[in-house]
Amino acid sequence: MALPVSLRNSVTPPELELIASEELVEIIPLISMERTAFISGAYGPLRPPNKAKIPLWMAINLKMKKKCHIVPPNWLSVDFLQDRLALETSRQEFSQFPFRFTEIAKLLLDVAPDDIQNSERIRSLLKDIREVRQAKSREGLQKIDHSELSLPNLCSMEINEIRPFFVRAMGVLTQLTRDPVADSQFDV
Amino acid sequence: MSNIKAEINLAHSPGYTTLAFSRDGAFCYTGGDDCIVRLWKTNEGEDQEPPTAIEAGESIMTLATSDKAWFSGSKDSDVRQYKAGDPDMEAVVTSSAAACIRCIAIDPPGKRIAVSSDEPTIKVIDIEDTVNMLILHGHNDVVRKVTWEPSGSFLTSCSADGKIIVWDLTQQEPKQIKLIDGVIPALKDKDSRDFAHDCSAVWHPSGQYFVVGSRTHEIVVISRDSWTKTSTFSSDSLTGVVYALALSPNGVYLASSTHKDVQVWSTQTRRLLFTFPNATTDFVTQLAFSPTKNLLAWADFTGSLYRWSDPIPSSSPSPVDPVATSLVTRPKRRGATPTLFDDDATARKPNEPVKEDTGLGGAEDFENEDWILDDVGDGMEDDLGAPGEDGNALVKEMVSVTKAQPAFQPGSTPMENRKRYLAYNMIGVIEVTDQDTHYIINVEFHDRSARKAYHFTDYFRYDLAALGPRGAVYACQPENEHSAHVVYKPYGNWATQGEWTYELSNTVRVLGIAAGGPAPSKSMRTLSDGDMQGNGNVVVATSDNELTFLSGTGIERCSVALDGDFVSMVAGPEWVFVVQRDGTTTMDGSQNLMGTLYDFEDMCVLQNRKLPIRKGHTLRWIGISEEGAPAVYDSAGVMYLMPRFRIPLRGTWVRILDTERLERKQGKDESYWPVGLSEDTFMCLILKGRQEYPTFPRPLIQELPVRLPFRGKDPKDSPLEEQQVFARESMHLQITRDALGDEEIPDEVLARELALDKELVQLIQTACKRDKLPRALELTRMLHHTSSFDMAMKVAAFYRLVGLREKMQALKDDRVVGDRPQRRDWVRDYDPVRPPRLPPADVQRGEPRAFQDFGPPAVVHRPGLARATLTLPPPPREDLYTRGDDHAPAATLPGESKRKRADEDIVAYGDAAQPDSIKRRAVEDDEYTMPGPPKPRANPFAKKPSDTADGPRNPFAPNKSLHKSESFFDKVEAAETSKWKGLSRSRLCPADGWY
Repeated sequence: MALPVSLRNSVTPPELELIASEELVEIIPLISMERTAFISGAYGPLRPPNKAKIPLWMAINLKMKKKCHIVPPNWLSVDFLQDRLALETSRQEFSQFPFRFTEIAKLLLDVAPDDIQNSERIRSLLKDIREVRQAKSREGLQKIDHSELSLPNLCSMEINEIRPFFVRAMGVLTQLTRDPVADSQFDV
Repeated sequence: MSNIKAEINLAHSPGYTTLAFSRDGAFCYTGGDDCIVRLWKTNEGEDQEPPTAIEAGESIMTLATSDKAWFSGSKDSDVRQYKAGDPDMEAVVTSSAAACIRCIAIDPPGKRIAVSSDEPTIKVIDIEDTVNMLILHGHNDVVRKVTWEPSGSFLTSCSADGKIIVWDLTQQEPKQIKLIDGVIPALKDKDSRDFAHDCSAVWHPSGQYFVVGSRTHEIVVISRDSWTKTSTFSSDSLTGVVYALALSPNGVYLASSTHKDVQVWSTQTRRLLFTFPNATTDFVTQLAFSPTKNLLAWADFTGSLYRWSDPIPSSSPSPVDPVATSLVTRPKRRGATPTLFDDDATARKPNEPVKEDTGLGGAEDFENEDWILDDVGDGMEDDLGAPGEDGNALVKEMVSVTKAQPAFQPGSTPMENRKRYLAYNMIGVIEVTDQDTHYIINVEFHDRSARKAYHFTDYFRYDLAALGPRGAVYACQPENEHSAHVVYKPYGNWATQGEWTYELSNTVRVLGIAAGGPAPSKSMRTLSDGDMQGNGNVVVATSDNELTFLSGTGIERCSVALDGDFVSMVAGPEWVFVVQRDGTTTMDGSQNLMGTLYDFEDMCVLQNRKLPIRKGHTLRWIGISEEGAPAVYDSAGVMYLMPRFRIPLRGTWVRILDTERLERKQGKDESYWPVGLSEDTFMCLILKGRQEYPTFPRPLIQELPVRLPFRGKDPKDSPLEEQQVFARESMHLQITRDALGDEEIPDEVLARELALDKELVQLIQTACKRDKLPRALELTRMLHHTSSFDMAMKVAAFYRLVGLREKMQALKDDRVVGDRPQRRDWVRDYDPVRPPRLPPADVQRGEPRAFQDFGPPAVVHRPGLARATLTLPPPPREDLYTRGDDHAPAATLPGESKRKRADEDIVAYGDAAQPDSIKRRAVEDDEYTMPGPPKPRANPFAKKPSDTADGPRNPFAPNKSLHKSESFFDKVEAAETSKWKGLSRSRLCPADGWY
């Protein structure tokens, strides 16, 4: 795998995608199906043209067979992303996104670009958002402190990105800042 | 694309060409680089020789017309006046010192002429007295275009440095009201081709706004209220410089030109309607609508004049006829201009209707424009007290006449951009593409697994179609060589076998068609040579004022006479819902529609009831809900449903949804185009703005929750959500119950009743909490199940309402004795008409489906893992013996004698030996050796059933019993070895016997 060594010891993005594929999405089925039991639960029934909520993996599977249209979540639209990008660039903190938005967006854009309006524009917006957020998380890492680091609204993919560095850095910092006096209190 | 044709005349030598229509529309004047003005007669074709006016010394830059005269402005700096329709010059109105005249414009009353030249000033000259002149200073560059606001009180001028100035000319002193910068492009070079683009601010006849082509290549609407950009006309397919703009005389249409095309837009929806592709060889320099005809003309840089007759098809509102308006929605700016007209400038009385004004409000109420001439505005007259500026003058005098709504097919749209939907419902979509010589009909289904999409070429131009559950029906009108016919294409049959055509006699027209039938219980994808459940039903409404009922295979069954004019119909599983006009529309605006349900079975009337459409509104859609009840949607945005349609002649229209009150609708300009209705969702397409019909590509169906239009606002008083759910659910339960016969109530209904009871108990709880005991009692009486009464009593007990609890108990007792009131009502009602019973879908039966069982998995019995103490030889057959064993754990007696056990064993083997399969017996042997060694417990009760139930013992059994004498240790060994075999036997062992 072409990942840098530092990343290999954390979860890989495809693995995260796999986890994210348990999230529910809305679809417009093109086939009818009774309510059906799967290991993760029972989904359905599919009654075209009524919308149905099914896990992403199933939606992707159906989509590949041209058996459904995926209804993109409302955050996957040009307007929403543009607003968020404006927020993201104007404010210091991370703006709020679904926890697994990168994975879901990637999967949907890969599988169902025809169901998403303006998918090319969305792609570029997501890239912009990602870059802004990456810059912020880097900045956040500079301020790393041995006791705490609070980065609210960080998403799974971003957490994953900083994890290897963060874990080691925290370890080193804790060693460096260990207060010998405090330690010696417990030595006795 | 060949049916769009324009008449082309090479009018002038290549270069800037200008054109203007005379105000009566009889002439079209063109002027060009060759210094000549030609007077074309609009009613003659390409081969006319127009008279010419040759006075100008240099190229003609601009033309303008009034009622009596026409004017030309030329590069030689003279503005010349001619008599209307005459090529002989009357006078020179003005001349500017050696500056090229750029634009002239005559004010709508025809009294004043605004002249702009290469000088940065604008002259406003009185035509009667050319010395009387105003000079407007304000621009710093060449003023390219000037235009008048339709009332003549404002003048807009566009200069080469990209500024638009709005002038107020109502006072003695001209006033500069607003400078709008940065909208139109700024140009330096006066001789560049860009300079020849028409950048005029084109006023809408209502005077509410003007449109102008912006530097960003958009068509921008600038409103008069704020003088800012309020909206744009845009389409994804259109990019590029806007060369010229023109508004139709009534303001309904906007023509624009980009690239080499000419487009026509609707000003209401701001959407592109028609395109004239490759209209010119060079860019268009000027566009104009004829003031009196459906004619659009333009001149291009090659010096040609193009005339496009009938740019607006007759199916759309005319571009000329004044649009009646029902509402002027915009608040008017009042008071700022107390006298709108300069006394010198105009002799017109303020209230006098002006020709240009008649188009007012074209923008306002497009939807009603076609069929109703409303006289709203009367009421507004007094308080407005406004001079003719608001232009309502003509409308006010109109008599209110309700135009009858034409017949329509639910779910169809008119042809737009050569495409239309013939049908759009919960089953699928029929799309039509016009290919000039023929149509391409494309049929797609929402559920691709149930029916197969298809398309075909249609030479008959089918204009009516309906998608039924079992087939699609198409109809065409009589045309030159063929008479009208109806074609039915069932889904599940081979085309040659199922399809049939029903020819109508020569001049009879088809007004509406419907295809109905019970929903198929199997997929229609696989073709067969005949369905046992039939092909459904077809109903045809014809201009003979009758309904023809045909069976799904084309047998004519009945021709039912209609009471009134046919309006629309839709077929359900067992009936057809026909809407007809009972007599005429009423004077006060009601459409006077009647809805009738005809039973397919015997053609009887099941329901006959007036449609609840409010005055001034039309029927938009009719359909069938998922449960089979007829539903109606009107132009006011209200959905009605007839839940108890099965009780003959007693159905009522229930308002189930008011889209105006939807949460999502608040603050948004959108409308809903119904597709279907299910229990708690309203399936529709959402149309933005003033769009009336869905367009291509096909939009997604949206689901809106059905909210009964209840008014209760206080959530504390009673939970609104529960009330909603309860009312909605009980209505649908009613529909389901009506469909049931005397047979046993199915579990599904019982479950739904129970769910309803839950909602009721919730409501009872709230009532108890708020101390509303009468309400709690009322709710208790509505409960369905006696067990729910207990729940209600618990609630009452919780709130320490002892009296209430007792009353509830009494109610319960009464219920137990006297049956449910609902059930009794149900019997008392007229008998609901039950749905017909259907034969099975097919002869062979399908296997039970996989993955549809939601219960816990069957317990796997693993004897190898079972506690050894419990073991007894497992029964060879799952009868009797197991029943005996059920008691085993409970009644185990440790001190049971060995002998007893031996007996039992014998019995067991006697049983086992009966099936004379040796193989099985061999298994039995193994099993027998299995029993666990430590304290084998026998079941003393087991013996009895085996004793009594099994008659004669097997005479061969005893020799088997030899095994029992084997020693304890042997048994252990046997158990060890046969562990795996035991597992394999688990299939034979009933799971429950061992616990």
